[in-house]
Amino acid sequence: MARYQNMFTQVQLRGPLEAGPPLRDATFTRTGTGFYNYWLGKFGNAQIGPVYLGTLGMASLMFAFLAFEIIGLNMFASVNWNPVQFVRQLPWLALEPPGPEYGFSLFVPLAKGGWWMFAGFCMTTSLILWFLRTYRRARSLGMGTHVAWAFAAGIFLIITLGFIRPMLMGSWAEAVPFGIFPHLDWTAAFSIRYGNLFYNPFHCLSIAFLYGSTLLFAMHGATILAVGRYGGEREIEQITDRGTASERAALFWRWTMGFNATMESIHRWAWWFAVLTPLTGGIGILLTGTVVDNWYLWAVTHHYAPGYPSTGVIDPATLPGAPK
Amino acid sequence: MALLSFERKYRVRGGTLIGGDLFDFWVGPFYVGFFGVTTAISALLGTLLIVYAASLGPTWNIWLISIAPPDISYGLALAPLREGGFWQVITICAIVAFVSWALREVEICRKLGIGYHVPFAYGFAIFAYISLEVIRPFLLGAWGFGFPYGIFSHLDWVSNTGYQYLHFHYNPAHMIAVSFFFVTGGALAFHGALVLSSVNPAPGEAVKSPEYEDSFFRDTIGYSVGTLGIHRLGLFCALSAGFWSAICIIISGPLWTRGWPEWWSWWLNLPIWS
Amino acid sequence: MKRFTQRTALVAVGGLGLALLAGCEIGPKQSTQTGYRGTGADQIVDVKHAVKTAAIPPEPYPLPPDGGQKAGEAYQNVKVLSGVSTERFNHLMAEISQWVAPPEQGCAYCHNPENMASDEKYTKVVARRMIQMTQQINSTWSPHVQKVGVTCYTCHRGNGVPQYKWALPAGAPHPGSIRGDRHNQNELSADAAYSDLPTTGFADYLLDAKTIRVNTTQALPKYDGKGASVQTAEESYGLMMHMSKSLGVNCTFCHNTRAFAAWNLSRPQRVTAWYGIRMVRDVNNAYIGSLQSVFPDNHDRKGPHGDPYKVNCMTCHQGQNLPLGGVSLMAQAPALWGSVAAYTKGAAAPAAAPGPVPVALNAMPATAAKP
Repeated sequence: MARYQNMFTQVQLRGPLEAGPPLRDATFTRTGTGFYNYWLGKFGNAQIGPVYLGTLGMASLMFAFLAFEIIGLNMFASVNWNPVQFVRQLPWLALEPPGPEYGFSLFVPLAKGGWWMFAGFCMTTSLILWFLRTYRRARSLGMGTHVAWAFAAGIFLIITLGFIRPMLMGSWAEAVPFGIFPHLDWTAAFSIRYGNLFYNPFHCLSIAFLYGSTLLFAMHGATILAVGRYGGEREIEQITDRGTASERAALFWRWTMGFNATMESIHRWAWWFAVLTPLTGGIGILLTGTVVDNWYLWAVTHHYAPGYPSTGVIDPATLPGAPK
Repeated sequence: MALLSFERKYRVRGGTLIGGDLFDFWVGPFYVGFFGVTTAISALLGTLLIVYAASLGPTWNIWLISIAPPDISYGLALAPLREGGFWQVITICAIVAFVSWALREVEICRKLGIGYHVPFAYGFAIFAYISLEVIRPFLLGAWGFGFPYGIFSHLDWVSNTGYQYLHFHYNPAHMIAVSFFFVTGGALAFHGALVLSSVNPAPGEAVKSPEYEDSFFRDTIGYSVGTLGIHRLGLFCALSAGFWSAICIIISGPLWTRGWPEWWSWWLNLPIWS
Repeated sequence: MKRFTQRTALVAVGGLGLALLAGCEIGPKQSTQTGYRGTGADQIVDVKHAVKTAAIPPEPYPLPPDGGQKAGEAYQNVKVLSGVSTERFNHLMAEISQWVAPPEQGCAYCHNPENMASDEKYTKVVARRMIQMTQQINSTWSPHVQKVGVTCYTCHRGNGVPQYKWALPAGAPHPGSIRGDRHNQNELSADAAYSDLPTTGFADYLLDAKTIRVNTTQALPKYDGKGASVQTAEESYGLMMHMSKSLGVNCTFCHNTRAFAAWNLSRPQRVTAWYGIRMVRDVNNAYIGSLQSVFPDNHDRKGPHGDPYKVNCMTCHQGQNLPLGGVSLMAQAPALWGSVAAYTKGAAAPAAAPGPVPVALNAMPATAAKP
């Protein structure tokens, strides 16, 4: 059943591997010539590689490796270099940012959060170098730079969480720890501290764009696969010279919901929904604690917190003679 | 106005599941069909019930209106309209409308001679909704476990239901779902961007072909999944996000009642560590 | 080939499913609504896994009637219970030995059998202070213990040292180094209900009186530098995890989590808990803290920093919203209901201490608020 619905490729072609168009203004050449993988070819392209390493790419990987090592070794040290416990407890382990006592000082002892700052610096540097790389790779092929800017939106959220907001708040302690469960604890505690992020309108927007992005990709992916028998996946051709795949795809949505995108505009919808997820999320984070301290009370002030019957309970601390 | 330049040749009869030619027509851009009629009736009835139930409530503020399910003391029985009965009828209307919509999509797919991928995908969204409002309440034995219909009140439900498990982020299925949501968002950004960067190239450049798209990703990360593959990947990730979201709430209560962090003790207590 | 692939896929999916379901609770559930309908405030309990009350030992012998000779008259060195009748004093001693002392030691756990009045065993000095503590809890802290009250058994459950206790955390084993330093969190501890949240809340909230409220009371920031940090919020959250785990309830037992701080959305149970935090703080400071020099320096009695083991919510509650399932033992130990007027030679017999009223408190009413 699945293969007739275009979920898996039935016939894989084998010929000379694609070398790729010539690169302009490139320091290096591409590494390797690539190879085929049969199982990958069932789902997408069978060809893996070649890859262009380049200066920015190698520098980025180096910083990413440094960040990874700093985080990993800190976690390893926290279990007294016990390899079994390292694996067992890995999801619980953390590299914590400096405590509130250090404020936003740039000089924090390594064991007290200095390593966290190093790791954060290396990770951010790695991401920015990778952003520059995606920009240069696109230009080297004569393409637009949309991928680079989409990536930059994600970097904006990361830097907001780990640097800009802590700077505005004057405390590294506001930043997110590295670690699987620890960063989840931070997320929950952050919401509790600032009076419930669900009442942060930018958090609402970000979630709406995140769900919207998923909805859009489900709709778009499903539409293209549904018109796959008409060559729908050749989107660039359908954009420049509309064929029956594009027409049927458009009419499907027009008949379903009275409105349709075009083969090009659906990708603009996609790009904006996806990019606005971290952008609105980042704005919501930036406003929290800096501009609004308690989102629930802010919602009460602005009449968007629903009312429930009062339980009639009063704060015992306000009663006369209450214990401290 | 209602017709696109190429639309007339696609507007042919046939492809209906039910009703033959009776409902096989269009209203403006909308295809009707038998399921268009059931969609319209159930959606209209549900919406009017929401408006009526809201009119009985204390506010017309759109952010504050909330139609709440019954108290759990009603169990799986019907409740008086003002005590959660409206919520029950609205839920039935919503399910009928959603399922009708999916079946109407099936008819449109048949009419256009395309695959059923969209209604199949939409089925996951319906499944997620039904999980929240029917499956989990049914497993827990009371409709009162469903979420209320209100823009912010449903967020209060999410908050409280999450804290029933002390720290919901530790729910493994929730972790998988959130990861899929993020991955889908990232993949969508990159797919949209890649197509746009090909058809909107650097100034003075010709539009680029899929060979350039593949080369861009091969140059950058060593692999390009390809024009067909990215749509399979996107659909898979998006549906997985919805599927695991449904799972993460179905298991919360029916299969696990304590704090989600505690669930992980099975990993810590595996015999392999000693 | 194809069949092999399908089988492999089937095994993989099945294995993943089993792994995810590992340790799940399949059995029937019991639910109670704890808030307005549709707010998601519910207690859902897996009946099979709910903590049941262990068998409470029967009274050693029926409580004798009050009156007659006072303990202070009959015995030497009776300081706290001198005004209790000798018969009832002996009855209480028999109970304490049943509730606290290891069976093979009995009275000798605290007393020198040759000289019962002697304070030479530290356990006797501790026991005297603990009796005062119990009287204080049952009188001053009645907003928390209500009419059920506590006895030695509520915490001790037949153990010399209660099973659930805490001491100041050891901290980083190598100061200035990252080796072994877990920052008092990320410790896989039952004290934080197995989350990664910090457990330093015991010291900060149950010994010191650090402000546990992390929310501000106005929407906009004050920029006075006094706002709680996110790390403090984690600490507060950590203590709440402990509290929930100890009581076998979830956050919505007390709070409407849309606004944890809002009292008019909270249930009365939150007030009980508020007094509980202060009661535990009083116990840890005024009673256990005062015994610092009395306890011997061994690790059955003291933590890594040499401070005596202290109490938290789990010490009494042990996974139940009402310790011992709400069963009151006060009727068989009236002397613990509050301080007893001391015996003075020739004085008129003091009025009897107020009688205990065992009440099966229904702290989880099944009815929900109606609009």
